[in-house]
Amino acid sequence: MSNNEIVKVKHLNKEYVADGKPFLVLKDIDLTINEGEFVTIVGHSGCGKSTLLKIICGLVDYSDGTVERNGEKVKGPSPNCGMVFQDHRLLPWLKIKDNVGFGIKDLPKDQRDKLVREHLELVELKGFENSYPSQLSGGMSQRAAIARGLASDPKILLLDEPFGALDALTRIQMQREILRIQKEKGTTMIMVTHDIDEAIFLGERIIVMSARPGEIKDIITTDKFSRRNRGSADFAAYKRKIYNFFFEDSAELLEEAEFVI
Amino acid sequence: MKTKKIGIIVLGLILPAAILLLWYYSTNFTSTPESILPRISTVGRKFREMIQTGQLQEDLGISLGRVLKGFVLAALFGILVGSIVGMSETAKRICLPTITAIRQIPIIAWVPLIILWCGIGEASKVVIIVMAAFFPIMVNTMSGMIETPKGYVEVAKLYKLSRLKTFTKVYLPHALPNILVGLKLGLGVSWMAVVAAELIASLSGIGYRMSNARSLMQSDTVIVCMLVIGVVGIIMDKLISIVFSLLTPWQKSNNK
Repeated sequence: MSNNEIVKVKHLNKEYVADGKPFLVLKDIDLTINEGEFVTIVGHSGCGKSTLLKIICGLVDYSDGTVERNGEKVKGPSPNCGMVFQDHRLLPWLKIKDNVGFGIKDLPKDQRDKLVREHLELVELKGFENSYPSQLSGGMSQRAAIARGLASDPKILLLDEPFGALDALTRIQMQREILRIQKEKGTTMIMVTHDIDEAIFLGERIIVMSARPGEIKDIITTDKFSRRNRGSADFAAYKRKIYNFFFEDSAELLEEAEFVI
Repeated sequence: MKTKKIGIIVLGLILPAAILLLWYYSTNFTSTPESILPRISTVGRKFREMIQTGQLQEDLGISLGRVLKGFVLAALFGILVGSIVGMSETAKRICLPTITAIRQIPIIAWVPLIILWCGIGEASKVVIIVMAAFFPIMVNTMSGMIETPKGYVEVAKLYKLSRLKTFTKVYLPHALPNILVGLKLGLGVSWMAVVAAELIASLSGIGYRMSNARSLMQSDTVIVCMLVIGVVGIIMDKLISIVFSLLTPWQKSNNK
């Protein structure tokens, strides 16, 4: 194993039992993610991409295959690996500062407060320490959730459609924010999304997954300059490529889509 | 804002005013005998008299003491058992069928056995209140715990919170509004239970005073006692609400 392989998934299969019948959610997943990388996973809803994230962070167990974080087999959650959910999941009864500090353990109060303050600044929520989640907008709540995910200083941050519930403009703003944050912190990020534009804009590599069973169809490596430019020809080419996986027969759909951009 | 508040108070006073009016009408303009329904003025005079002799305060103090003792014990047990049953699927499977069965037995039906076991002293009254108030508190606590969204529990799991921490940081705060409902119901039931217990076997307390007055055909005393129980009940209910709104500040900000 080379030093910078931070997540390694090999021959992972995952079955769920529904109505007494087992069905395959993830089929033969092979995936290696390097330290500091930003990887996006794109696929239909129900293709098992969230399950894959939960397996990587240790919330869901697996029987078949191996999953390693930092060269160690995943046996359960660890402070090394944070997660941000689509429904921000801030605890309504805790003030924002306590939500952000929720995962910080075994630290004296002043250091803990310092970490919380730093991360609130990082996500530009300074001044909202004493607010409750219900007082924040959707975008602000998601910022707080990202701050919580990062405050325990994980090496890996998993993001499960974090911007899926936000409006289009806030979403684009948050995409730029998360890039800035990743640059500042250097955290490895794996983001699941069903938004193809988002997947291209953020992903150094895009993992394309099919549904039922969830399988990796392709891994697309993107070029830094073309992915950041939503109008570029390369961006459109990535988009076409991904579209083709999901809508194999409908190339004309894409033609329309290009005009919309 | 202020006129709105006054409006709310006025709306709440419509029914009491109507009842008073009806009462006034039936005692002054119909031939209802005083021993069945005394005039408002008679009840007022009786109230003053009972205060002056100190009898009312004494009776109320005794009953209130019993209610508080029983209610506090019931709250402790109810929240404890409700939490355990609400958090653990196994505990729920073991306890819930039995608890549901026992709940169906009216509290009055327990009184003979409890008097046999605990005598007719203080203990039996407190036990009756505990038994009556326990179930609403326990059941509401339990449902508050069970309804805790899986997503929040998953967050606790992600950050490897211990079971105790998961309880204090996730389950308990989520269940607080339900616990409040349980406590309010439990408090109401406590008053019913103490009066029931005192009616049956007691020589003191406001329930005893009522039962004694009834056998002497003093309906004015009965009504004074009823009104006092109602007023004290509503005060205690409001007190619980105030304590809980202090305990759940995040809900207040929700309403703004």
